[in-house]
Amino acid sequence: MDLKVISLTGDYVMLMRRVFTKPQKGRIFWQRLLDEIQGLGIESIGIVAFISAFMGAVVAIQTAYNIDNPFIPLTMVGWTTRQSIILEFSPTIISLILAGKVGSRIASEIGTMRVTEQIDALEIMGVNSANYLIFPKVVALLLINPVLIVLSMWMGILGGWMAMGATGLSTTTDYVTGIRIDFQVYIVFYALLKTLFFAFIIATISGFYGYKTNGGALEVGQASTKAVVLSSILIIVFNLILTQLLLT
Amino acid sequence: MIEAKEVNKFFGDHHVLKNISCTFEKGKTNLIIGQSGSGKTVLMKCLVGLYEVDSGMISYDGRNFSEMNFEQRKNLRQEIGMLFQGSALFDYMTVEENVMFPLNMFSKQTKQEKLNRVNFVLERVNLDNINHMKPSELSGGMRKRVAIARAISMKPEYLFCDEPNSGLDPQTSGVIDQLIKEITVEYGIITIVNTHDMNSVLSIGDNVAFIYNGELWWRGNKETILHTSNKELNEFVFGTELTSRLKQ
Repeated sequence: MDLKVISLTGDYVMLMRRVFTKPQKGRIFWQRLLDEIQGLGIESIGIVAFISAFMGAVVAIQTAYNIDNPFIPLTMVGWTTRQSIILEFSPTIISLILAGKVGSRIASEIGTMRVTEQIDALEIMGVNSANYLIFPKVVALLLINPVLIVLSMWMGILGGWMAMGATGLSTTTDYVTGIRIDFQVYIVFYALLKTLFFAFIIATISGFYGYKTNGGALEVGQASTKAVVLSSILIIVFNLILTQLLLT
Repeated sequence: MIEAKEVNKFFGDHHVLKNISCTFEKGKTNLIIGQSGSGKTVLMKCLVGLYEVDSGMISYDGRNFSEMNFEQRKNLRQEIGMLFQGSALFDYMTVEENVMFPLNMFSKQTKQEKLNRVNFVLERVNLDNINHMKPSELSGGMRKRVAIARAISMKPEYLFCDEPNSGLDPQTSGVIDQLIKEITVEYGIITIVNTHDMNSVLSIGDNVAFIYNGELWWRGNKETILHTSNKELNEFVFGTELTSRLKQ
C-alpha cells in the first residue's frame, strides 16, 4: 500500500514536471485557456449561484430559529451567515462541489482522449500533450475559481437576506447590520487563498488520473471517480492545514 | 530507411518482442502483418517511441532514435505522420481544425497558406466540403481519410498506419489502401502499415514482415507470400474460408 502511494506520488510529480513547462505555442495556449475558462468556470456559475443562495438561506433560517435568548440581538443572524459563508461554505463546500463537477469533467475528458489514442496522436506530432491538455485547465481554474467563490459569497449572503425577508424572522436592517459587524478583510483573503489551493488540487489531480487512464470506457469512469474522491480528500485535509496555519 | 535492430520489449514477465531486426524502405509500403496479439502494434509503437524498447536500437535514416532526448524526438516527430486504428481525430475540433492543428503548432505559415494546405490535402484524400463538420458527423471511411490528411499535412518523411482498414467495409478498405499507396509513391516517403487484412497485403504489400509470437518469422512481398512454405504464415494467410478456397 505504502509503495503504491509512493509510486503514485512519483508519477504525479513526473507528470507535473511535464505540465509546468512553457507552452509550445502561446497563441494556442491563450485560445485553450479561454475555452477552459468557459467550460470549467462560466458553465459552473449557475450551479454555484443556486446552491450558495439556498445554503445561505438555510444558514440564516437555522440561526434565526436557534436564537431564543432575548439578550442575543437579531443582528447575529447576519453575522453568523456571513462568517459561515465566507469562512467555510463558499471556499470549502463549493470547492468540494466543483471537485465533483469540474474534476470529473477533466478526468473523463482527458481519459477519453487517452483511450481513443488522441493523446498518442498529440505525442506523435511532437506536442507535449501533458502541457497542452492539463496546463490551460490548471491556469483556468486558478483564475476562475476565486471569481466563483466570491460570487458564491455574495449569493449566500443574498440568499440569507431573502429568506429573512420571506419568513420575517429578522429585519433587513438587523440582517445588514449583522453582516457589517466586525468585518475583517483578512477572512476573505484567507478564503480566497484556500480557494487557490483547492483549484490547484482539483485541476492537477483530475488531470493526472485522466492522463494515466489505461483501457476503455470502464477505466475512464474509474479514473473519474478516483479523481473526485482523492481531490475531495485532499481538499478536506488541506482545509484543516491551511485553517491552522492562517487563522491561528 | 527506418531500421530496427535486435529490438526487445517486455511487459512485466511477458516477452512481447523478441530480438526483432528489420528495415523499412523509402517509397514503398512496408507491411507488418500477424495475428492479433502477435506484437505488431507494440512494434509499431516502439518504432514511433510511444513505447520505449528494453533493448535494441531504432534509427531513422541513420539517426539513432533510441538515444534521442525529448527535444530531439520532438523535432523528429514533426517528420512523422501517423494514422491510428480509431483515427484519433480530436472530437472538439472540426475537420479543418483537425487537419490544420499540426500546421498551427509547428509551421510559421500565414492563415491563408495553412488553409490552402488543408484544402489541398483534403482534396488529395478525395474529401470536399466537409471542412466545418465534426468527426462525429463523419463515416468511418471519411474519418480515416481525414486522419490521413492530417498525417500528411506537414509533408512527413515517414508515415505509420495502424490497422487502417479496421472497421471498414472491403470496398472502402480498398480505397484507403490505394490512397496510402499513392501517397507513398507520390511523396517518396517511408510508409509502415500494420494490418491483418489479406486484401491489403495482396494489393499494397511491397515489403511484408510477418510477426509470429513476438518474433520476425518471415519477410517477403505480396508475390512471394502466396508461395511460401512457411507453415505459420500459411495458416495466417489461408486461415479464412475464402482464402483457403482460393488456394484450392
